[in-house]
Amino acid sequence: MLNIDELQAILPQRFPFLMIDRVEELEPGKKVVAVKNVSINEQFFSGHFPGRPIMPGVLIIEAMAQAAIVLFSQSKEVIKDKKMAYYLGNVKVRFLSPVFPGDQLKIKVEPLKMLSAAAIVSVEGMVGDRKIAEGELALSAKEG
Amino acid sequence: MQNIEEEIKDIIAEIIEKEPAEILPEAKFFQDLGVDSMMALEIMAAIEKKYKISIPEEKLTQLATLNDTVRVAKEYLGEKADVNA
Repeated sequence: MLNIDELQAILPQRFPFLMIDRVEELEPGKKVVAVKNVSINEQFFSGHFPGRPIMPGVLIIEAMAQAAIVLFSQSKEVIKDKKMAYYLGNVKVRFLSPVFPGDQLKIKVEPLKMLSAAAIVSVEGMVGDRKIAEGELALSAKEG
Repeated sequence: MQNIEEEIKDIIAEIIEKEPAEILPEAKFFQDLGVDSMMALEIMAAIEKKYKISIPEEKLTQLATLNDTVRVAKEYLGEKADVNA
């Protein structure tokens, strides 16, 4: 498990773009389960949508991508403690159900193909036992 | 069953978003077809998934044309066929 301080040591993103709060499960090379607590205080809810707050799908993808960075970086001894730049190469995600204020979004990431500087992962978002999104991401990493 | 060349051509076409007919056997992925390194990785992963094979990372740079890709896939499919025989 990783708390927010440990997460910030891994992820380059910061407020207002840190889209995961905690990592509940971390099995290097196998699996990450990350948590995003979705609060009505999120800035995006004021515009998405006025009077009808729904978490934007692109930000769910961002949360998935950040969880994928955790999986990738913690699976590679050589880059574990290095500052890396990460790039999303491809996104295939299907949204199944909306995410509302008060929801706790759990994101599971598992590797489909992991190389030294790139990975394809499967991603799944759950709120309780409701699956809200699933798909695949491709990301690459560069030093610096 | 479609032959492997046709199947792999379809996989590549879908990933790089081109018509299968554009993917000539010796067309160079990077120069002629606009494939980038992430797409090459996706092609490799899609082939592994379809044929349930595992292609090592070093082979990625060898995937330069459709013919190359088919050759590499067959190399690993061959091993699998031997195991199953």
